[in-house]
Amino acid sequence: MIRALLSLMVPCGSVLILSACQPDIPETIQQGMVYCAEGSPESFNPQRVTSGTTIDAISQQLYDRLLDIDPATGELLPALATQWRLSQDGKTYWFTLRPDVQFHHTAFFSPSRALNATDVTFTFNRILQIDHPYHAIGGTNYPYFQSVDWGSLVKAVIAENNTTVRFELARPDSSFLSNLATDFASILSAEYAQSLMQLGTPELLDLRPIGTGPFFFKEYKKDQFIRYYRHPEYWRGKTELTQLVFDLVPDNAKRMAKLLTHECDVVAYPRNAELKLITERPDVEVQSQTSMNVGFWAFNTKKPPFDNVLVRKALAYAINKDAILDAVYFGYADKAKTLLPPTSWAFYHDLAEQQYDPVKAKELLAQAGYPQGFRMDIWAMPVQRLYNPNALKMAELMQADLAKIGVRASVVSFEWNSFRRKLSEYEHDSVLIGWAADNADPDNFFRPLLSCSAAESGSNRANWCDPNFDNLINQALLTADIKQRRSFYLTAQLYIDEQMPLVSIAHSKRFQAKSIKVTGVTINPYGGISMAAARKSL
Amino acid sequence: MMLHYFLRRCFLIGFVFVALTILAFSLSYLFPGEVLTNISGLTDIKPEQRQSLIEYYALDQSLLQQYIAYLNRILDGEWGLSFSSQQPVLSEIVAVFPATIELASYALLLSFVLGIPLGLFAAVKADSFLGRLISGITLVAYSIPIFWWALLLIMLFSLTLAVLPTAGRISVLFDIPTTTGFMLPDIWLSDISYKSEATLDALRHLLLPAVVLATFPTTVMIRFTRDSMLAVLEQSYIKTARAKGLSRAQVLYHHGLRNALLPVIRQIGLQFSTLITLAMITEVIFSWPGIGQWLLDSIYQRNYPAIQGGLLVVSCLVIVVNMLTEILHTLFNPLARKA
Amino acid sequence: MKKFRLYFEEQNRGPLTQLWQQFQRQHAAVFGLIMFSFFLLLTILAPVITPHNPYLQNPDLLLLAPSWSDQGLVQYPFGTDDLGRDLMSRLMKGATYTFGIALITVLGSLLMGLALGAMAGMSKGVKSSIFNHVLDLALTIPSLLLAIIIVAVLGPGLWNTTWAIMLALLPQFVHGIRNSIQDTLKQDYVAAYRLDGASNWQVLRYAVLPNIWEHLTVMATMALSTAILDIAALGFLGLGAQAPTSEWGVMIADALDLIYLAPWAIALPGVLVFAAVLSVNLVGDGLRTAMKKRREN
Repeated sequence: MIRALLSLMVPCGSVLILSACQPDIPETIQQGMVYCAEGSPESFNPQRVTSGTTIDAISQQLYDRLLDIDPATGELLPALATQWRLSQDGKTYWFTLRPDVQFHHTAFFSPSRALNATDVTFTFNRILQIDHPYHAIGGTNYPYFQSVDWGSLVKAVIAENNTTVRFELARPDSSFLSNLATDFASILSAEYAQSLMQLGTPELLDLRPIGTGPFFFKEYKKDQFIRYYRHPEYWRGKTELTQLVFDLVPDNAKRMAKLLTHECDVVAYPRNAELKLITERPDVEVQSQTSMNVGFWAFNTKKPPFDNVLVRKALAYAINKDAILDAVYFGYADKAKTLLPPTSWAFYHDLAEQQYDPVKAKELLAQAGYPQGFRMDIWAMPVQRLYNPNALKMAELMQADLAKIGVRASVVSFEWNSFRRKLSEYEHDSVLIGWAADNADPDNFFRPLLSCSAAESGSNRANWCDPNFDNLINQALLTADIKQRRSFYLTAQLYIDEQMPLVSIAHSKRFQAKSIKVTGVTINPYGGISMAAARKSL
Repeated sequence: MMLHYFLRRCFLIGFVFVALTILAFSLSYLFPGEVLTNISGLTDIKPEQRQSLIEYYALDQSLLQQYIAYLNRILDGEWGLSFSSQQPVLSEIVAVFPATIELASYALLLSFVLGIPLGLFAAVKADSFLGRLISGITLVAYSIPIFWWALLLIMLFSLTLAVLPTAGRISVLFDIPTTTGFMLPDIWLSDISYKSEATLDALRHLLLPAVVLATFPTTVMIRFTRDSMLAVLEQSYIKTARAKGLSRAQVLYHHGLRNALLPVIRQIGLQFSTLITLAMITEVIFSWPGIGQWLLDSIYQRNYPAIQGGLLVVSCLVIVVNMLTEILHTLFNPLARKA
Repeated sequence: MKKFRLYFEEQNRGPLTQLWQQFQRQHAAVFGLIMFSFFLLLTILAPVITPHNPYLQNPDLLLLAPSWSDQGLVQYPFGTDDLGRDLMSRLMKGATYTFGIALITVLGSLLMGLALGAMAGMSKGVKSSIFNHVLDLALTIPSLLLAIIIVAVLGPGLWNTTWAIMLALLPQFVHGIRNSIQDTLKQDYVAAYRLDGASNWQVLRYAVLPNIWEHLTVMATMALSTAILDIAALGFLGLGAQAPTSEWGVMIADALDLIYLAPWAIALPGVLVFAAVLSVNLVGDGLRTAMKKRREN
């Protein structure tokens, strides 16, 4: 045994240093990259999810979309669709598909043909047609598309011929193309779906994915890792990386430790507190990217006493946001005064900032009929997100703030998947959570977070359905004139400020830490990360 | 005599199994929430399914019949679905169990390999400096909280010296197909071209968790072996042997060692149950994908079918191993049979 | 009685005094006893003597370094945590939880064990045989595992943990007490007492208990070290006390996030758990050795 160990050591000189000297190790390992992610994916089909963690892990790696968003400018770029045009009345779109786009060839599926229009119609009809054989497989939840109300917007998706797809809308919608370019609108394989249906295992469509993206799916061990290999026939050219592993490490400290021991090449969401430490080390570095996101505190507005706007305002006054920004974000975030981040074109610059005023808060509470305060729960999400790097700590700070106005808050937190399920069943009093935008359109903040359709689909954390507000954001979509749209959105922001269904807390930058050996991992400000251009030097 | 003994043990094992299954069965009723949900693990039961499920789980019948139905399902390997993944609990347990056994066996091995010689040494040279040192270190190591000890080792070897990995069983880039579920045998059974590198990597991942896990049992082994040896050395037959003119080494080997090591066999079982418990903590700290981490996650998630299945497996295992070592001990030591 | 003595005081000293004489000859044990008394004092006095409120957040003093470093302040000897709470006060208050609750659980378990053990020790026949088998089974399951099982049923929380550990320690107490009672019952002086017409209760009260209390003390110290370790471990795993409670195990788990920024926040609570367990073990070992030596004399 010892001699065997010794003989292992000899070629490298030391047992303990593994890297840099393995002649026998195949390329799949030398050119493999480990991305340490903060959580497990909920599904392998982006249509079924909204969480950033899942999108990061699956969308850009496995799939392509009809259109892409230029990360720098927010403009739309051709992807699977090479060109597109719009009818005069703004209600019909035509897309021409790219030829010779190959689907993944894996152990469980061998495609017989390249991408064509039926794949696109399958992808969207599955979501839109209630009688589609795949619609109800694995539940009828398509949260993103429900929150942007595509059910009533998109009347039909038709394959005109092999390479042309026509979308017919019920009304003009200026955010339609942006939505089509989000990570959720990834194109699936109709042929794969058909073969699964024949095998009698249609539910595997969302669990064992086939796409056209730069990597194909090898295996997933729940709560451990996801293994991808490179797609040799990727239409943009095969990637430098031969293997991509998502190591699932929910614990912040462990993720950081794995970066420093080089068990991870790239680490999602290093904590703000540790950024300085990383910059001091020569072997790792921090990447940052302005990101469209907001962290907020949402009240369950259907539950008393939070159905009372005075109570909501009182709680908003009671919170010391500056202290939160220091302690939770370590100053790496902007204080939020509305849902939209300042970089959005619809941001309301002149809106008055929410003040920290416990005296005023107590007055409002008394006015609302709660001079003695009350008990409430603050649900703090158990995971770290860009928009809220440490919800538990934030909740503890708020607990102390609220105690000053007589509100006795208890902090509730448990495992992430059940947490989200119970949230969408509106079991909470209030919750600390947030949102990262999927595209540059302001509608992407208001509709998924606060519209009535979002309240129905369960993604409206405030459970807030107000026809006045819905009216405002609907009208903003009917026109393409940016000035008119802006004025609608300004009114909407003012209305949120009056009604206070949620308290916006901060807009954070997005960070990722990586080994200096790795280059080309891009963070998209509107959604998932992309590893297609990544490479690793030895 | 012997037969009688085995029959009694068999009866006891049957009794244990019934007791444990009754406990696990009653958990479905003790846990909050609906019994049907807790038993089946289905989170989303449609009204039209409900009646047939109630009949299937015999919930409309007496408790005794429900228990018999439960027992049948357990024996058929149908343990319900996990709330969080909606996968069968039994298949999840089968997937995570080997990792724990693997870690615990290496730690057990380590604790015996280190503990017995050190304990013997501490007994034979009880008054020497080294002997005292061993006893002192043992007392210190005996008092150390394992999770803190693990963190200290990680801080030193992984974060400061950067020589050992912090988590997992093997670098995730090594694509080792699962055949047995035990990492090292899996590597040897696979047809990969880089077996030696993979083995080395797996050993590096194993080192810290195994040392952490072995710490407590090793100290117990040292203390136990030392006390047992000291007790033997005071026996009159040792004095007789010395008086007969045997050398010190001969006495120790022929008369001391054998008699002192006999009770150690029984320690295997006791240590094993301690190990399984401590393995839970170790697994959490080192992200070792074993049943301990799985069970604790299930407790956090209030995943009742999983908790039920996990507890049943862990407690059965602990008790069966204990029983087996006791039988083994009896086979080697006729004196114990009378008890 | 190797030497002739004129006076017999030496031999006539009470058993307690003899025990203490043997005990104080062991330096390590005395050291352990001092530490133990220190923790006991801290547990009782913690609410009064903490320099700051252990739960008071101070947003201006986040993650202050300990006072021995250049950035530290004298008012905060061990610095502050990431919410600006004084670490020293939290550690002191933590003694009430980890050490204090361990004491309570051991006492509770001891009393329950005494009752059950006495019943088991005094009874005979089938009932006792079944009881013994169940007990043997429960004994093979380690207390932490038993506690985890009980917490899994009751749900996490400090009080549930207390109950769980109390129940988890019970089998070893019952077992130990039953055995020592049965051993004592075989003694001649018990038989003599019975012949005098003593009832079961009188035998237990006047003949058995005075003779097993030493054994009880040793058992209790062993149980105490287990209880401290278990409470801290459950707290660390998130099954016991919950944040912001300053239980030591919870504090370590909390500080994990700060492993690079404030390693002392992990090290200090760990040192305390370790010291507390060590002190109990030293005292226990010392007691056992002292008893053995006294009997040999």
